Amino acid sequence: MPKLAESLVQTLRDAFGERVSARVCLGEASIDVAVGDYLEVMERLRDAPDFRFEQLIDVCGIDYSAYGKTPWPGRRFAVVSHLLSISKNRRVRVRCFAPDDVFPSIPSVSSIWNSADWFEREAFDLFGIVFTGHANLRRILTDYGFDGHPLRKDFPVSGKVEVRYDAELARVVGDPVSIQPRVTTPRVFPE
Amino acid sequence: MHCLECGDAARASDGLLTGLFEQGFVTTSADALINYVRTGSMWPVTFGLACCAIEMIHAGCSRYDLDRFGVIFRPSPRQSDLMIIAGTLTNKMAPALRRVYDQMAEPRWVISMGSCANGGGYYHSSYSVVRGCDRIVPVDVYIPGCPPTSEALIYGLLQLQNKIRRECTIAR
Repeated sequence: MPKLAESLVQTLRDAFGERVSARVCLGEASIDVAVGDYLEVMERLRDAPDFRFEQLIDVCGIDYSAYGKTPWPGRRFAVVSHLLSISKNRRVRVRCFAPDDVFPSIPSVSSIWNSADWFEREAFDLFGIVFTGHANLRRILTDYGFDGHPLRKDFPVSGKVEVRYDAELARVVGDPVSIQPRVTTPRVFPE
Repeated sequence: MHCLECGDAARASDGLLTGLFEQGFVTTSADALINYVRTGSMWPVTFGLACCAIEMIHAGCSRYDLDRFGVIFRPSPRQSDLMIIAGTLTNKMAPALRRVYDQMAEPRWVISMGSCANGGGYYHSSYSVVRGCDRIVPVDVYIPGCPPTSEALIYGLLQLQNKIRRECTIAR
């Protein structure tokens, strides 16, 4: 399998040259793309006869602010897409860093793969990454009117609001959270 | 026999049959009859939230067979007497759960099934989970476990039956 990944990395280098940094990572071909090249590279990955990545398996966000033992030198937010080529039996990871840490924004690939719709809504919901060009970028998992983005490393695990039923108002109301966040698992670093 | 709430011997509701006559009829107290009917047909609303619902389904299927207890799952809260909160109650689900509870006709009872419904359980310190469903609806019986076995759920139903038998509807 690593051999297949190596050959795919070579194909990627031949096709895109210096615009993508392609390497084998954990046995799978992985590339980094700049925001400006993102849409064009993704479209070619789907359409070019060498690649034919027909399926978008997953889109996930990453918050690098608490990554590793030393402070992360690069940008804070990234989006990783997992592509699968059914016809060529190949997989590739595509990572794209958002240029702005305060207002992370990355072009949407929902016009290229329909499956990106809900994946990008999830990444927006949990990380606050804005996908420009997405037709319906709403929260998908968290509560209506939720404040914050839960998978950001600076979000308190206990949240900010807890709900209860108010008999006088005859509806469920939110109160400020009453418990302190606590760390139940130690931070471990893979070797 | 004495009524457990008011202590009045004449209003005893524990013994079902207080008189048996040769002419072919029996006498009993209205409370005893009402509680007999209520405990014999507790219809829960079909409401599963998480993995506890699987155990609830097991209890309802042929091996444990809740039908034997007159417990028949109903698809509408308006036909139900009982709500089994089986699973993690999230903040987003809480208003919907309360709405289902409000739609149930009285008298109605609630069983909180499993650690998550009892007090948040594994997700107690989470940003999205209600720390105990008794913050949303009043609960009659709490069943511990993660998830509780089907036997534990049946035991909880029997405990609820015991609780209902102590209610006095007529003799207050």
